[in-house]
Amino acid sequence: MTTQLSGSCAIVGMGRSISLKSDAERKTPLQLVVDAASQAMREAGITRKQVGALLTGRMPRTYCSLQYNQAVLNELKITPMISTEVTSHGAGALGTIELAVVLLQARVIDYALCVCGEASPLWIEMVEGSANWEADLQFEAPYGATTPALYAQVAQRYMHDYNIRPEQCARVAVENRLWALDHPQAAMRKKGKISVDDVLSSRMVASPLRMLDCAAWFPGGIGSAAVITRADLVPESPSKPSWILGFGQSSTHEWIGERFALRGAGPTENGPNITNLGVGEAARQAYAMSGLRPADVGIVETSAPFTFANLMVLEELGFCGKGEGGDFVEGGGINYDGGLPFNTTGGYLSFGQSGQGLYLLKEVLEQIHGEPEGRPVPGVKVGLVHGHGGPLACHSVMLVGGERP
Amino acid sequence: MTEETTIDWSTGMRLMAGDMFLGLYQPSPETTGYWDGVRRHEFLLKHCLRCDGCHHPRRILCPDCNEAVSAWKPAKGTGKLHSYSEVHRATGVFAKSTPYTVGIVELDEGVPLFARIFGEPGIDVPVEVDFRVLEQGALLPVFVVKTAP
Ligand SMILES: [Zn+2]
Repeated sequence: MTTQLSGSCAIVGMGRSISLKSDAERKTPLQLVVDAASQAMREAGITRKQVGALLTGRMPRTYCSLQYNQAVLNELKITPMISTEVTSHGAGALGTIELAVVLLQARVIDYALCVCGEASPLWIEMVEGSANWEADLQFEAPYGATTPALYAQVAQRYMHDYNIRPEQCARVAVENRLWALDHPQAAMRKKGKISVDDVLSSRMVASPLRMLDCAAWFPGGIGSAAVITRADLVPESPSKPSWILGFGQSSTHEWIGERFALRGAGPTENGPNITNLGVGEAARQAYAMSGLRPADVGIVETSAPFTFANLMVLEELGFCGKGEGGDFVEGGGINYDGGLPFNTTGGYLSFGQSGQGLYLLKEVLEQIHGEPEGRPVPGVKVGLVHGHGGPLACHSVMLVGGERP
Repeated sequence: MTEETTIDWSTGMRLMAGDMFLGLYQPSPETTGYWDGVRRHEFLLKHCLRCDGCHHPRRILCPDCNEAVSAWKPAKGTGKLHSYSEVHRATGVFAKSTPYTVGIVELDEGVPLFARIFGEPGIDVPVEVDFRVLEQGALLPVFVVKTAP
């Protein structure tokens, strides 16, 4: 069974703009998203006048402005009915598209322009600048709560409760790296293969997380944009639209130190815990909306920034049972050869993270249409994208396909 | 020996962009009583006078009965370590202290609290509160793993 939202809207244009540290001229996030937006509008064949909603991800850390979405609007010289930021941290990137579908299906607009971007590594020193970024300044940061140490709280408890071994987590890094070697934009594309032993012998960052358990920084900035419209406005030819089949979202907290105080709601319905994320709830919504099951999904991209979190995401998306993520990957579940195509860009671990964005969605759509930048995954009908907002607080799941439902 | 002080969070942290004042980050008059207690080496939790529940010192509203909470109650200062991490890589004033342990304590009152952990950590090991001056120079409640008597 599907709901009226499933397949009601399509992505008819996408754009992406990249600036690297090695470029002679560094670009700002505003330059990148404006470039991406113009590409998306050109591909969709729409004019400035037709943009009914501008939905941006959160304000980039390197283009602070009290109304970031208005700065984007000001540059594009568009006059949408609705202009707003959609932010549940990084999960807000997919949130822009989800909100676009709701607005389009309510018929208050005909075209939505969704834009997201970051370029922090180009403009600020990320390790120093991000050490306490996700910590509560009053109750966490004064104790030396580095960002990996916050995620490590969930890792430690998860690995203890479900008997997950470090070498099982390491398999995520190993397989992700293989995909990165094939992707022309991946941060680690020239770094060669890594082994489980390489991960287990890399420097400890915050136990149980070692250096190769952690996301790499993308060496630059990425802006991405999409134009969404309703099914009745999608031309039959010659365009290659991508259909939004289902989506869901769940947010549980702002600070991980207080997550255990949440009870009786969402993933703590059966008691307080820090090891049931909101991914399961978001996935349940997306599967219900689309009538699809995990077995229907041919490719998965996630923005989970640590190895263990990838196992938890695979579990909650339904590719294996709760606590079975370690056995699943150890048994070849996400093997580069023969496994579920998973993080085909190299993922956050080997493609690198550049704040929030729609570039994982772009990867899935390009695979579906047979035009990927990296290693092709043949015959994909349905893809799944998971957007994460830290620290493991916000989760967005979207199912997309290449054929009009 | 300097006098033991805590940071005053009642008016928050002033965020500046050069000379321009942008705004206040997390002003928290609702936690002043907690830090007053810490200065006296007393460990307090927010207390709901309607349903008698204890809550995190930050709490403004009781999630169980929707009552505004502003009263403080001395807590036992004991609990168990729900999770932890040994930090090996840190920046700023914390860099020279590595490795150190931070964790989430589940207090006997059912309230979670993030803190520095001293002693040999482990999942669900018993801990008790102590008060120590950490790297930033402020007095903070920390937790020490209880050893067998
Ligand atoms: Zn109450």
